[in-house]
Amino acid sequence: MTTVETVAAPPIEGRQGHYAGAVSRLVAFAADAGASWGLFTLGAAALSFSIQLVTGGHFTLTHHQVASLVVLVIWEFLYFAYQWTLGGKTIGMAVLGIRVVRMDGTPIGWRQAVVRTLALPLSFLVLGLGFLGILTNRDRYALHDRIARTAVVYSWDARAARLRWLARQESAPTA
Amino acid sequence: MSPVPGSGRMEQLAQAVAERVVSIVMDAIDIDALLQRVDVDALIARVDVDDVVSRVDVDSLIDRVDVEKIIGRVDVEKIIERVDVKKVIDRVDIDAIVEQTELGTIIARSTSGVASEVLDVVRAQGVGLDDFFARWVNRLLRRSPESLPLGPPTLVPPSPRPELAAGPQ
Repeated sequence: MTTVETVAAPPIEGRQGHYAGAVSRLVAFAADAGASWGLFTLGAAALSFSIQLVTGGHFTLTHHQVASLVVLVIWEFLYFAYQWTLGGKTIGMAVLGIRVVRMDGTPIGWRQAVVRTLALPLSFLVLGLGFLGILTNRDRYALHDRIARTAVVYSWDARAARLRWLARQESAPTA
Repeated sequence: MSPVPGSGRMEQLAQAVAERVVSIVMDAIDIDALLQRVDVDALIARVDVDDVVSRVDVDSLIDRVDVEKIIGRVDVEKIIERVDVKKVIDRVDIDAIVEQTELGTIIARSTSGVASEVLDVVRAQGVGLDDFFARWVNRLLRRSPESLPLGPPTLVPPSPRPELAAGPQ
């Protein structure tokens, strides 16, 4: 029977620069969706509070659905495009130890970050099939990767993680 | 006592004469001039050093050396005092060491404690699951993992991937 490699210790060494797999990317995206939504909600609450403080009247962004949708779209665009431009990784990607690079492995620029951000919804719009390439493609490209000519790679230093783990094992009291 | 009568005196006389002759000869010889005429290089060239070395019993030589005694005689404090530590440190290219090793990363991350431990586990689990799904997809698509590129060409030079070549465990 085939079992999933449950890795309490990091045995994976030397993966820096290798194409990142579907699970890492999916979890990173989920973390980003949560982080961006949480930040948006916080921002909206702060805005409502500020307006109430200044005008004295009651204001909530949810009462202005079109406006809130537009602000949300702009916010999501800025969230991804800005972070990808800055260091090739979002908060979720940083947590999972992955980053976006050009197809040849060099760092992406702001143009590719913007194109990738705009192309990302397309992978959803085709019933999520745009993401299937991460599993089936030789280079693990999603649809938005192909459009923006980018790839996602592991940036996590697993060797250092293993050394840390070994150090912890040595320092841990034996039962 | 000598069996021949009077031979003892003769020996003493011969000894005295010989000593006198040697003394006169030595005084007459110009040692510096003699040494100048000796071709030392030619002399050394004739010595078979390998043969000499091969005759030396190194093990027995080492056995005779009392290392503890030698160490005991070394004044380490005095040596340390004479070492210019600052000069040594100045000559060490720390940047190159950090670049060539993961020392920098280790130093930077080892300070983050529990957070880094959690991150390591989450990332390791992610990579483990990535590999699990990749292996199954490769099986379904009847694709050899060795034929797949590991990463972008500038980050990973093309080479076989042993961990996936082994197949599901």
